[in-house]
Amino acid sequence: MVKKHQIRTTVNGEEYDLLVDPKKTLLQLLRENLDLTGTKEGCDEGECGACSVILDGKVVNSCLVLAVEADNAEVTTIEGIHRGEDLHPIQKSFVDSGAVQCGFCTPGMILTTKAMLDEIPDPSEEDIKHYLEGNLCRCTGYSKIIDAVNLAIKHSK
Amino acid sequence: MEQHSAVGKRIPQRDAVDKVKGSAIFTNDIKLKGMLYCKILRSPLPHSRIINIDVSKAEKLIGVKAVLTYKDTPQVKFSISPTWADKLPLESEKARYIGDEIAAVAAVDEDTAQEALDLIQVDFEELPGVYDPVEAMKPGAPVIHDSVENNISKAIHMECGNIEEGFASGDLILEDTFSTQAQSHCSLETHCCVAICEPNDEIKIWVNTQAPHALRQKLSYALNIDASKIHVITPYLGGGFGSKIDLEPAQAICILLSKKSGRPVRISNTRKDQFISTRIRHPTISELKFGVKRDGTIVAKQARVVMDNGAYNSHGPAVLLYNNVMFSSLYRVENIKYEGYLVYTNKNWGGACRGYGDPQATFAQESMMDMIAERLNMDPIDLRLKNANNPNEITANKVRITSCGLRECLTQAKEASNWAEKKETKSKYRGLGIASMIYTGGGSIGSGFNYSGATMQINADGTIHLSVGAVDIGQGSNTILTQMAADVLAVDPEAIRLTTADTDTTLPCMGTFGSRVTFCAGSAVFQATNEVKNMLLEEASEILEANMEDLEMKDKEIFVKGSLGVSVTFSELASRAHYKRKKTLIGHGYYNGPEVSDDFDPTSYVGYPSPAMVFATHIAEVEIDPGTGKVDVINFVAAHDLGRAINPLLVEGQIEGAVAQGIGWALTEDLKFENGKIVNPNFHDYKILTIKDVPKITSILVETIDPNGPFGAKGIGECAMVPTAPAIVNAIYDAIGVRIKDLPATPEKIFDGLKKI
Repeated sequence: MVKKHQIRTTVNGEEYDLLVDPKKTLLQLLRENLDLTGTKEGCDEGECGACSVILDGKVVNSCLVLAVEADNAEVTTIEGIHRGEDLHPIQKSFVDSGAVQCGFCTPGMILTTKAMLDEIPDPSEEDIKHYLEGNLCRCTGYSKIIDAVNLAIKHSK
Repeated sequence: MEQHSAVGKRIPQRDAVDKVKGSAIFTNDIKLKGMLYCKILRSPLPHSRIINIDVSKAEKLIGVKAVLTYKDTPQVKFSISPTWADKLPLESEKARYIGDEIAAVAAVDEDTAQEALDLIQVDFEELPGVYDPVEAMKPGAPVIHDSVENNISKAIHMECGNIEEGFASGDLILEDTFSTQAQSHCSLETHCCVAICEPNDEIKIWVNTQAPHALRQKLSYALNIDASKIHVITPYLGGGFGSKIDLEPAQAICILLSKKSGRPVRISNTRKDQFISTRIRHPTISELKFGVKRDGTIVAKQARVVMDNGAYNSHGPAVLLYNNVMFSSLYRVENIKYEGYLVYTNKNWGGACRGYGDPQATFAQESMMDMIAERLNMDPIDLRLKNANNPNEITANKVRITSCGLRECLTQAKEASNWAEKKETKSKYRGLGIASMIYTGGGSIGSGFNYSGATMQINADGTIHLSVGAVDIGQGSNTILTQMAADVLAVDPEAIRLTTADTDTTLPCMGTFGSRVTFCAGSAVFQATNEVKNMLLEEASEILEANMEDLEMKDKEIFVKGSLGVSVTFSELASRAHYKRKKTLIGHGYYNGPEVSDDFDPTSYVGYPSPAMVFATHIAEVEIDPGTGKVDVINFVAAHDLGRAINPLLVEGQIEGAVAQGIGWALTEDLKFENGKIVNPNFHDYKILTIKDVPKITSILVETIDPNGPFGAKGIGECAMVPTAPAIVNAIYDAIGVRIKDLPATPEKIFDGLKKI
């Protein structure tokens, strides 16, 4: 048997004490152990961004992060950003702009956008493209995703 | 123009809130108690005879609950239709491509299942492989399917008018060859299913399919199980683009493993599985010959197409047919000859892929049109206007056109792109290119079916409940179908409950493909909702003592026109119907068209029976970096005749997404093979566009109001893919004088071309 590691991690504001397999990824931990299936697996090799989550303020591909690396860290997933009954302004902008088609890339897109706006409140179009370059979308052609980010920026002012 | 309460409105997708919250459940999110995980053993060789499969060691591994080989299957070959059946869920005698299914394991977790695969011993006898369809057609080439001569799975010969006389009457004859490459669909969600075999032998399968009702039929056929014992449910689906229409071997395997183990089983493709084992866009080689008059009239056109089928048929024969129909019916040409061959090779098999054979035909034809315009010293738009299709015409190959906005697409795209001015002031390394297309806007009844059903019911509590068999695969059909129903009943679309994509609770629908859902499912919804509307009006007319035509609906109430105080609610009407008259308020709609005329002969390949054709024109503006050969698409205009836009916001989304996919196919996407093996099966080496690569896309919606479409609408899903690549390639030529005849237009090809000028 593989020796499991004890970790303490905060996910969406809730604290967990967990025993994890050392080769398990943060993506697997979130989806399989915590049933937070809003985080999607698109490629499992860090190329598509569908599994993006925020780890201690930085956006990461959770398929490339080991679960043990979340020890003593704070993780935010798509399930953790709405405000009570209300959608987060970025979520609302994605809905209103028609930026959501199949929705599989959407959680990752929104979390990357959130991490960007937390860091740069007023990004240029170049900044937006730079931050979202690692998040692939096959449905929208990205036009309405850019509209959504711009709408979110407008709402936050 | 008539007023609409919901149709024509820019309403966000009704499912978007679930999706932005992360609460939308996709197939891979389903976890059942006791569920096992499946992995499939695939052929490592492109062509081989299977001598022996020994699974004894795998069966003994702790955690393994079932191992499957062909011996556990009914060994019924399947395809899109029994006529073309050539694939087993698990192969028994031969493996025909790298990735072919040989055996499968269900175990307590994925690691154990993977470990068990390594314990399965397969003895293969390697056979010579053939990877080039032209080589595969030659006598003496390796035989891939025993009964198929020269590896030609399907040949199409179509001729109309008199091709020789046609060419003889031309002032200019132009011939050239164009080729296209394999493209992977790359939906962000990979293929996945969860199957459970109930104690009464009933099977329930949650699966990300574009066609649940058709899948039930196909599973029934391939597994020899009565269709009434199969329940297919499609949860939220993460993109399809044609890749999720087929019966996948994995789906049959999942069911059989569940039967064998007595436990639920889930199979979920990794991204690599997705690249190496699901369908691809068929590569083609198209030899074209065109005859034209000095004034630009096309007097004859001819195509000889070799389409690389890969190892199995899937949709191949129908994709070849579409290649013929779309090539032949674009523009008014009297004399046409088409000769097409679908050829097996030891590679991944082609299938349905956005545009279904049309992008390949249009790339060749629209490149040729530009070459003709140059030779005639004509503006490429004028050449296309000279030959454009018109409304209410039957083409030489007997395709019936109802509404047609091709001329409007050409002229409006020209204006929006600032064509005339930009051509005048052209700068070095910048260019503009144009391409048009024709496609179906409502599926086809060519195979005998084009069905979609819908039911609408109003309950005593006032609930308005619409059920459709169609699947929303991300394109937004759930939203636009409820908009149509809401418009008929004059209610808010949000007021309508919706059930979809479940074979137990919805009427059959062929599925989401062929740009057919808006037209076909929309027609069924329109019919079902109008039936209920009439029931409501009949009830109301009795209660309110007024003629039906004097009644008006608003906010789930019916009024007498002009006297707003006198009204009755839907809920009161449904209660009265239910409890006093013992009647339900349920309307049914069923579309299955168009009517096929008596002279339709599927063997002559003329007379393609589509309910509506759609048209489009794309104009691309590119800038070339002469130092690297890199193409930057800087502006893009896409004008589409879609009958009517039920929801312009979602229509734009379809156009923008399809254009991005088309730019990818034109410039960067190339599934590369070496001796039958895909060498770039990941997103690092197979480049789909990122947010940095897409230009601003201007969509122009040309509303021709089709006489047969619901609210005049036609389909939009696939067609925006179609003319994208030729518009870009024509723009590259305009910029630097390099004509790319084999896709993709890579920097290497452009750089080499520049050196030769």
